[in-house]
Amino acid sequence: MKSCDEIRELLGAWVDGELGRAEADAVRLHVEGCSVCSEERRQLDKLNVSIKSALVSQRPIAFEPFWRGVERRINEKNSWRDEWMDRLRGAFGRPNLAWSIPAVIGLALVLYSLGVWKEETPRNNFAAVESIDAYGRNVALLRENETRTTVIWLYQNQEGDNEASGETSDQSPTF
Amino acid sequence: MKLPGKLRTRALLFSFLATFAAAYLGAAETASQAVKIKIDTILASNQKDEFDSRLKPIEKQLKKSLKYRSYRLLKEESQNLPAQGNGSFDVPGGRTLIVSPQDFTNQQIALKVRLQGGEKPLLDTTLKLENKTNFIFAGPPHENGVLVLVIWATVQ
Repeated sequence: MKSCDEIRELLGAWVDGELGRAEADAVRLHVEGCSVCSEERRQLDKLNVSIKSALVSQRPIAFEPFWRGVERRINEKNSWRDEWMDRLRGAFGRPNLAWSIPAVIGLALVLYSLGVWKEETPRNNFAAVESIDAYGRNVALLRENETRTTVIWLYQNQEGDNEASGETSDQSPTF
Repeated sequence: MKLPGKLRTRALLFSFLATFAAAYLGAAETASQAVKIKIDTILASNQKDEFDSRLKPIEKQLKKSLKYRSYRLLKEESQNLPAQGNGSFDVPGGRTLIVSPQDFTNQQIALKVRLQGGEKPLLDTTLKLENKTNFIFAGPPHENGVLVLVIWATVQ
């Protein structure tokens, strides 16, 4: 003999006709003699009727226009600009934003460190001479425009200049 | 992939911190870079027509800036110097050239250069030079000609 709890577990399957003959007979006998389980069965029947009537009364969904729209959009050829915009939207959409920003910053740093992206300053090979002290000797600062060369010319025309080298000091610059 | 709000905030915060750290380290690296100083010591004279083939890369510079008939490379020497460090280069005739890189900013290398004849200072100059370029220091007499010192500075 099955208890009410066991019968209630089988009640749904019995109402749906899913039980074997012996088990279905046992449930039927119990329900006929038990007011509580009989009430449970009545509730189940009522629920089944409600669901069936709801399904029957609902108007069929018009899927045809929806599928036609999907098909049209699939077949529609997008311009390259639209495709790129879609890709960009995908890459920089809100969920991906957190990773996109560090990625862009990282890429910029790598490019900068490699020297790919550097502000090009106009090439000017002239050395900027800030100070010259020739200790009383004559000195000339020359700049050659074509090769952008800066020349500092030291005249050694004073007495005692070449003590260290013992060389003659009669050289004059040839520019 | 959908990130929870907290994780997204952390990722953004991390990226900003990484950016600032990279910028700081980049600046520090620039400030502590060594400078390679190379001195080409050349004898220029009018004794004969001669051009040392080793000077080919700066032939135009020499011939346009100085009008000598002969250029001969006597020696070349290079040293890697830290900022504020001193490099001493022997120049023929008992002279010494002392070069001291000061700093390196915006592709410009600041140099202090001193030429000494023995212990006696002959010339002191401070100048700024573009990275990987040179300037010429000339005039000291030597062997019937003049010494031409081509001073190169390259950030390492």
